[in-house]
Amino acid sequence: MKRIFTRISVLAAFCLLTINVALAQNITVKGKVIDGGDKTPLPGVSILIKGTQTGTQTDVNGGYSLSVPANATLVFNFVGYTAQEQAVNNQTTINVSLASSTQQLEQVVVVGYGTQRKIDVTGSVASVKGEDINKQPSTNPISALQGKVAGVSISNNATPGSAPQITIRGTGTIYGNTGPLYVVDGVWYDDITFLNPADIASINILKDASSQSIYGVRAANGVVLVTTVKGKNGNATVNYNGTVGIQSVTNQVKMTNASEYATAVNEAYAINKAANPLFANTNLGEGTDWYDQILRNAMINNHQVSINGASEKSSYNFSLGYVNQDGIIKTNNYKRYTARLSNDFQVFKNLKVGYNITGSSSTSNNAPASIYRALYTASPVVPVFNADGSYGDPASFQLGNGSNVNPQATIDFNNSRTGKYRVTGNAYAELKFAKHFTFKTSAGGDFGQEENRNYTPKYAATTGQTSNISSLSISRIETRNWILENTLTYENKWNDHTLTVLAGQTAQRYKSYTITGTAQNVPYAKEGDLYLSLGNAAGRTIEDKGSLNTATSYFGRVNYSFKNKYLLNASLRGDAASQFFGGGDLWGYFPSVGAGWVVTNEDFMKDQKIFSNLKVRGSWGKVGNAGVPINPTTLTVNQSAALIAFYNGIANTGASITTIVPPALFWERSAGTDIGLEMGFFNNKLSVEADYYNRKTEQAIFNIPILGSLGTSDSKLLGNQADFRNRGFELSATWSDKTAGGLTYSISGNIGINNNKVLNVTTGSNPIDAGGDGLNNAVVPTRTVVGMPIGSFFGYQVVGILQTAQEAAASGMPGARAGDFKYADLNGDGVVDQKDKTFIGNPNPKYTYGINTNFAYKNFDLTLDFQGVADVDVFNANLGNRFGNENYTKDFYDHRWTGPGTSNTYPSASLAGGNNNQTNSFYVESGAYIRLRNIQLGYNLPQSLVSKWKMQRLRVFANAQNAVNLFGYKGFTPEVGGVPTKAGIDFNVYPMFATYNIGVNLTF
Amino acid sequence: MKTYINISLQKWCAVGVLSTIIFASSCKKDFLNVDPQGQQVAQQFWKTQEDATKGVNAIYANLRTWENLAFPALAIESTGSDEADKGSTVTDAPFFNLYDTFTVTSTEGSLQSFWTGQYRNINLCNQVLDNIPNISMDAGLKARYLAEAKFVRAYSYFRLVRAYGGVPLRLKVPADPSEYNIPRADKAAVYAQIEKDLNEAATVLPASYGSNDIGRATKGAAIGMHAKVAMYQQKWNDVLTLTNQVIGMGYALFPDFEKGFRTQNENNVESLFEVQCEFVPGNNDASNSQYSQVQGVAGERAGGWGFNTPSAELIASFEAGDPRKDATILFPGETTPQGDFIKTNIVNIGYNQKSYVPFGMYVSGNQGSQQNFRVLRFADILLINAEAANELNNPTLALTSLNKVRARARGGLTGILPDVTTTDKTALRNAIWKERQSELALESDRLFDVIRQGRGAQVLGPKGWKANKNEVWPIPQTEIDLSGGLLTQNPGY
Repeated sequence: MKRIFTRISVLAAFCLLTINVALAQNITVKGKVIDGGDKTPLPGVSILIKGTQTGTQTDVNGGYSLSVPANATLVFNFVGYTAQEQAVNNQTTINVSLASSTQQLEQVVVVGYGTQRKIDVTGSVASVKGEDINKQPSTNPISALQGKVAGVSISNNATPGSAPQITIRGTGTIYGNTGPLYVVDGVWYDDITFLNPADIASINILKDASSQSIYGVRAANGVVLVTTVKGKNGNATVNYNGTVGIQSVTNQVKMTNASEYATAVNEAYAINKAANPLFANTNLGEGTDWYDQILRNAMINNHQVSINGASEKSSYNFSLGYVNQDGIIKTNNYKRYTARLSNDFQVFKNLKVGYNITGSSSTSNNAPASIYRALYTASPVVPVFNADGSYGDPASFQLGNGSNVNPQATIDFNNSRTGKYRVTGNAYAELKFAKHFTFKTSAGGDFGQEENRNYTPKYAATTGQTSNISSLSISRIETRNWILENTLTYENKWNDHTLTVLAGQTAQRYKSYTITGTAQNVPYAKEGDLYLSLGNAAGRTIEDKGSLNTATSYFGRVNYSFKNKYLLNASLRGDAASQFFGGGDLWGYFPSVGAGWVVTNEDFMKDQKIFSNLKVRGSWGKVGNAGVPINPTTLTVNQSAALIAFYNGIANTGASITTIVPPALFWERSAGTDIGLEMGFFNNKLSVEADYYNRKTEQAIFNIPILGSLGTSDSKLLGNQADFRNRGFELSATWSDKTAGGLTYSISGNIGINNNKVLNVTTGSNPIDAGGDGLNNAVVPTRTVVGMPIGSFFGYQVVGILQTAQEAAASGMPGARAGDFKYADLNGDGVVDQKDKTFIGNPNPKYTYGINTNFAYKNFDLTLDFQGVADVDVFNANLGNRFGNENYTKDFYDHRWTGPGTSNTYPSASLAGGNNNQTNSFYVESGAYIRLRNIQLGYNLPQSLVSKWKMQRLRVFANAQNAVNLFGYKGFTPEVGGVPTKAGIDFNVYPMFATYNIGVNLTF
Repeated sequence: MKTYINISLQKWCAVGVLSTIIFASSCKKDFLNVDPQGQQVAQQFWKTQEDATKGVNAIYANLRTWENLAFPALAIESTGSDEADKGSTVTDAPFFNLYDTFTVTSTEGSLQSFWTGQYRNINLCNQVLDNIPNISMDAGLKARYLAEAKFVRAYSYFRLVRAYGGVPLRLKVPADPSEYNIPRADKAAVYAQIEKDLNEAATVLPASYGSNDIGRATKGAAIGMHAKVAMYQQKWNDVLTLTNQVIGMGYALFPDFEKGFRTQNENNVESLFEVQCEFVPGNNDASNSQYSQVQGVAGERAGGWGFNTPSAELIASFEAGDPRKDATILFPGETTPQGDFIKTNIVNIGYNQKSYVPFGMYVSGNQGSQQNFRVLRFADILLINAEAANELNNPTLALTSLNKVRARARGGLTGILPDVTTTDKTALRNAIWKERQSELALESDRLFDVIRQGRGAQVLGPKGWKANKNEVWPIPQTEIDLSGGLLTQNPGY
C-alpha cells in the first residue's frame, strides 16, 4: 500500500515539474463552455492557467477569452461539475463541455425543508438529476428511476396514465397508503402523475429513517423530494424536446390453437367423467389468436417546450407538455396536457418571493377492466365474427362460464372515459434578517377534479355479452388539499464551526368528495346525449361519499459540523393527525440523530492519494404513518343499498351496525438505523457508497381477520397488530472518466439487498392476513404470519404428478385422480390436508440492481441502462385460476400429463379439477429478470451548422425501452406489483411492451 | 425609504409568523377534530322508531345475500343430496364436487362463507334485540320488531345447527373483545335457543300484515318453523301440535303447483315465509339476489350459470305422470308455460324450474334477481303434520294431510298420483318421505331431511356419505384457527 502512495506522489510531482518547465509565449484563447449533459452554456465557470492565479470567468453565454502562454494548460472549474484540464498547444479556440459530477463534494442535495451539502449529510439520500430522468422518454417521472437508485424498487404498471409502484427499502407499511410521500417544491402529494418529467430539475430520495423523520407523519414509506426547473441566468432560452415512438408487446405468451385447445378440453372432460367430449371433432386448425386480434403496435407522442431565463432580480420558467399515448389494446388512449409556470422575484436584497403553478389535464379512453384476463382465457375455437358478420359466441360452443366472452365484443362495446384536471402549486416568501436568519413561509394548494364516465349501450353481441337496456354512470371526484408551512432557519459559520438550526410548523388539510350518479335507458346518438337526465327517471341513483383529514406539526433540526470533519445532525418532529383524534394518542413524536466523520479532511489523510473522499456516517430515526383510514375508531352506521328490504315489492331503507372498530389506535412507527460509507478514489473518478440499514416497523396497522361468528360485514378488525423488519445492504459505485481519445464515459452499478420479516403479531401463530386473487373459489395464495416475509405464498408442495389411479388412491389425498398434482405429506400422517401446507415462495424481491452507463464521444452519446431483480417469486394465478374451459398456454399444452409416464411436473388438462385447485408450488415461479431498460444513441449536430440555424443546440436521438428482457417466468412479465400483502400475483396484468422512440432536443 | 420598507416588512413578517403560530395552536383542537364524512355515527343511531325500522329492514335484506342464497348455501344445503348435481360444465367450480362426494375438508371456502353468512344475519338480529328495547317508540311495534328479529335469528341458527351441529351461540352483540371468542354450544342448547326464540316470536307476531308489510315474519311462519325444528329433534307431540295450529290458521295449497313458483304468485296463500327479492333497475346492491341466476339455464342470454341441476335420481324418482316433475325441472327441448323454449343442446340434463324467472323479465344485472326464495310452504307443513301423526299412530290424520298435498299435485288430472291409503306405519312413513322428495325437490330440503330420517347411509352412501361423520359438515378451519383452538372440529374431519 505504502509503495503505491509513493509511486503516485512521484508521478504527480513529475507532472507538475513538466508544466513549470515549459513556459512560452502568450496567445489569446477563446471558446465556449457548455454543460456536458443538456449542452446549455455555462456562465460563471472559472478558468485558471494551471499553476497560477491568473484566469477569468465565462460570461452569460458561456463564452470566454483569455491571454495565455501557448503551451499552458487551462483548468475549468465549476461548482457541481468535474474540473477539466485542457492543454492549449497553440490552439486559439478551446470549447469545453463540462461533465456534471454527482460525486462532487460541493454537490448539494435536497433534504427535508432545505438543502445540505452532500458532504454534510449523515443519512442516506439519493439524488437523481432531471437530465437522467429525461433520458428515458417516459410519461411518468418515477418510472424513469427504475434501476437508478440502490434500494429503490419500482414496479411499472404499464397502463397508460397510471402510476408505477415504488418501494423504498422494502415494504414499510401495509395498510392504507403504502406509497412514499412526494414533496414537490414543498407541497405534499400521494402521486405525481400530473408532473411532466421535463419540468423536473432533480429528484432526491430520502431512504433512511433519520432523513425521513423530519416528515414524521407520512414518511414511513420513504420520501421523494422533487425540485422543479427554475429559470437559469441569462437570456431567454427556448427548449424543445420531442419523441415519437411505437410500443410493442414483448415476451408474448403463446396460447394453444383451436385444435390443441379442443384436445385439451376433451381430456379434461374425460377426466371429469363427462358423458361426452365437448368437441366431437378436435381437428379445428389454428382458430382465433385473440392476442393478435386485440393487441396492436401503439403510437406514443411526447412533446415539451419550455422558455426560461433569469435576470438579477427575477427568474422565470414556463413549460408546456403534451403526451398522446395509445394503449396496446385497440381503443385505449391517454392524452395529457401540462402547463407549468414558476417565477421568483428578488424584491429587495433580503426578500425573495415566488410561486409556481402547474395545470394538468388528461383524458383517457380506458381499456375494459378485465380485458387482459379475457385475452388469456378466450377460446381459440370461437371466431371473432361469424360468416354472417355477427360476433362469434362462446355459448354456441357450450364453453360454459370460464371463457364466455368474445374480447372483440368487449372492446367494441366498452365506452369508459376518465378526465382529470388538476391545478396545484405554491407561493412563498423568504426573508433574510439579522444576518443569520431566514424566515420562509409557504402556502401550497392542490385542487383536482376527476370524472369517470361509463356507458353501456343496449346491445346483444354474444349470449354472455348483452344488455337489454343502456346504462350510464358518471362519477366525479373533487380533491381540495392545502398545506401551510413556516420555517425559520439560523445559519452561521465561525472559526471551525458551521451551524444550521431549523424550526418550523405546518398545517395540512385534505378533503375529497365523490359523487356518482347512474341512469338507465340513456340514448347515445352523440356525445352530448350522455347526461343522466336523459335516462329513465325511475331507477336513477345518486350516491356520494367524502373524506376529510387534517394534521398539524412542529419540527426542528440542528446541523452542526466542526472543521468539515465531524458532523452532527439531529431533528425532532411532533405530529397530530385527525385520524388519531379521540382514541389513541393524538400526538406522535419522531426524533432522529445522525453523526458523520469525513476522514479525508483529517490532517493525517492529507498525503495519501488513494481516497479523494472517505466518509463514515451513522444515523437513527423514527417515522410515522398516518396513512390509515379516516376516523378509524369511530363506529359508523352501514346504510348500504344492500340493506334495503322489500315488502310486497316496495323498497324500504335499511341500516344497521355491521362492523367492529378498535377502541383505540396508536401511531404506527418505524425506527431505523443506517450505517454508511462514502468513498471517492482517484480524484473522485471512482466513487462508492455503501449502506447497511435495519428498520423495524412497530405497531403496524393492519386489518386482521376476525371470527366469522362475529357476523361483521368484512370479518376484519383494524388495529396495531404487528411488528416487522426490513434489513438490508446497499452498494453503489460509479466510475467516470475521459480517455485520451476524447471518450467521456461513466459506468455505475447499484444493488440493494433487502430481507423482510414479520417479527411479532397479535394473532400469535395465526396469519394476520391471507389473501390475494389466487385460484378460483376463494383459494388465496398469500399469508402474512410471524417469522416470514410479508405476503408469502402459502400452499402445498408439489412433488410430482399422480401417474395412475392406484397411485392416486394411495396418495392420502381425498378425491385424487391420475394426472393430478401429488402434494407432499409434510407431517407424514398419511393424509394430505391443510396441515401439510407450507411456505412456497416470497414475492418480496431480495435483490434489486441496476447498471447505468453513459458514453460520449465527439458529437455522439450513448446510454445503456440495465436493471433487474433476483431472488423473488411470482404466483402465476393466470394459469391456475380456472372456472371452466379457459384457454391453455402452449407451454402447458406441450408439457401436460396425458397418461402414465408422460409428465411428472405438469398435471393433466383438468388443471382446476380435483385437488389441483389449491395454492401449490407449481404456480410459484421465479420472478427474477434482467432487462435492457433503456438504450439511447444521440447525436449533437455540429455547432457550426446549428449556429447557422440560430440555434444553440440540436440533438437527435433514438431510444429503446425494455427492448431486451430475460426471464424464465412463463407469463407475460414477472413485474406484476400489487399491494404488499397481495403482491407478486399475476392476474389480469397489462402485458409488458417495449417502446422504440426517435426524438429531438432543441435549444435556441 | 428602502430601509424603512425593509424594516416594516420585517415587522410584518414577524407579525405574520407569530399570528400563524398562534392561530395554529389556538384552533388546534377544532382543526383536528374532524367528523366522519357522509357517515352516520353509531352513537347517533338506535335513537328513534325510524332507526328501529331500518334495523329490522336490514335483517330481511341480508337474507338474500350470496352466502344465504347462492353458491355457499347450495354447496352446504343442496349439492350433497341425491336430488342435485353440481351442474354447469364439468370444469366449472369443481369445488362443488367435494360436497357431492362428501370429500370436503375443513379449508373449503364455502364452509366459511355459509357460516359467516348466517352469523351476519344473527348479528343484525342481535343489534335489533340489544338496542331496540332502549328506544322510546310505539310499544306494540317494538314488541313486533323484537319478535321478527327472533324469528330470523332462529332460522339462521337452524341452518347452522343442521350444517355444523353445535355452534357458538351468540345472543347479543359482544360488548368488548373478551366476548369475541366463545366456544361451541352443544347441539341441544342451540336447538333449545331456536325453540325459545320461535316461541317468543310466535306469541307476538301477527298472523298477517297489511299490504305494505307483506313478507315480514308472521305468527304462522314462527309456528311452522318451530314445527320443522321440532321434527328435526323428533319431538313428535310438539310437531303435531304446532302443525295443527298452522293448519288452523287459514293457509291453503296454491292450486297450480308450477305457477306457485312464479314471481307474480309470490307470498301466496301457501307461503309461510319467503326471502323477499326484487329487481331495481340500476341498483345492483338492492338487486343482489343471485338465487335464480346461479341456477338459471346455462348458455341462455337471460338464463344463468346452470348450477344445482337435477340429478338423474331425482328425475327417476317421480311417480309416473307426476306433473311436479315437469314443474320442478326445465328439460332441454321443452317450452315453459311462459313460452320460453329451452334449447336442446344445453350443457346439463335440466335445470331447477323452481328458481326460474321467464327470460323476458330479464333487463340487466343478475338474472332473475326478483325471484323470492321459498323458505317454508304450507305443503311442507302438511307433510310434517302427516309424519308426526304417523309417528304418533294417527294414520288417519297422516293420510289426510299427505293426500291434500297429492291432490294439489294432480292439478285436476286423473289417473295419476292416487291417494295413499296404507296405514302401515313404516309404509306410510316411507310414503310421506317419498312425497317430501317430490314436493320439495330442489328447495334445499332433501339433504338434511334424509340425514334427519336416519337414512344417510342408505340414500347417500353410494355418493360417499359416511355415518358418524357426514351428518354434519366440518367447522371452517379458519374459524378454528382464529379461535386459537377454542372451537373443536367435528368428528371424522
